[in-house]
Amino acid sequence: MDVVVVLFLFAGLFFFTGGAIGILRFPDFYSRLHPAGKLDTLGLLLSMIALALFNLHHFSLGTVLTSAKIIIIVVFVFLASPTATHAIVDAGVRAGLGPWTKGEQRR
Amino acid sequence: MKILGLIIAILTGAFLIYAAVDFPDWADPTSPASTYLSPRFIEKTIEETSVPNIVTAVLADYRGFDTMFETAVIFSAAVACFFILRIFVHGEPGERLYRHVLTGVTIRVKEGKIPPSDDFERIDASWTPHDLIIKTICRLLVPFIQLFGLYVIAHGHHSPGGGFQGGVILGASIILLAISNDLRTAVKRMGEKLVGLLCALGVFIYAGTGALCLLLGLNFLDYAALASILHVDPITARSHGILIVEIGVGLAVMTAMIWIYNNVSSNGEYDEGL
Repeated sequence: MDVVVVLFLFAGLFFFTGGAIGILRFPDFYSRLHPAGKLDTLGLLLSMIALALFNLHHFSLGTVLTSAKIIIIVVFVFLASPTATHAIVDAGVRAGLGPWTKGEQRR
Repeated sequence: MKILGLIIAILTGAFLIYAAVDFPDWADPTSPASTYLSPRFIEKTIEETSVPNIVTAVLADYRGFDTMFETAVIFSAAVACFFILRIFVHGEPGERLYRHVLTGVTIRVKEGKIPPSDDFERIDASWTPHDLIIKTICRLLVPFIQLFGLYVIAHGHHSPGGGFQGGVILGASIILLAISNDLRTAVKRMGEKLVGLLCALGVFIYAGTGALCLLLGLNFLDYAALASILHVDPITARSHGILIVEIGVGLAVMTAMIWIYNNVSSNGEYDEGL
């Protein structure tokens, strides 16, 4: 059980790290939103599953409820985070920011 | 006049710093707060009010007078925002944009407006495309956000939460509706009059509970007096009294948030939002 929890937690941290590196290294606004929107959601999913499993060590109605609440948080973020990214991209396009093309400088 | 204001500000600041010298040091174990105040709350809260969350009990019961005026401050902030910003525009409206729902064609109407019909919907001057994703997701999330807000208000006795936090979450749900659709959609659901009345009602519930305790023969905001009305023992009555005033705080904070957002985002005209 503990092995599974640690595996999930490390997988989550791996995606979080990837997201952080992506935000720092990608060249422009739109490509930076790509790791911010996707990898954070996936990292959160994996680490929250790890927490929900870890919480079930003592199996009772209370811990099952707590785990269910953790999973509900994941569902909420799964809906809200991509929508927020979509809205930010939309605002960027409407404000007139063009995408970065190869050979240009980072911005 | 500016110099006078500066002198007053400097004098007040100097007095405050002078007064602060007499305070006990940070984390001083011999200070009055650490020697008898905190231990008393920690030991007696559960037997006196039957509320497991000590912070809630201190905030809404032992120190209820302070919280009542905090609510009044939020109410007056919203009212001040209304009086400073709100403009009642009379006369002909300027240019307006309408969109044909089925085809997406936008038309510009100078002076006057087209008769209301289901075929056309009004849109803001900062032209917004028809965004199905954001509208649908926000419409889906708003009820859950509101449910969570109610949970935070009602569960303040047992976990972090209470009227202020829950009220902010409820207010944010309506503001999310205003951002994802437009201001008119939100105002249609929470009208200006309703918002103002509920904001005042929230403060009234809090102060009215205190006055009711006074009428029933105990001190102002001593919820044990409510025992005879609620048909419970005085200790449970204090727990219920906290819930009643938290509901008042939640109402006031929620509507204050909405009121301030509506006024600020539309420059006080309530015509077009962000």
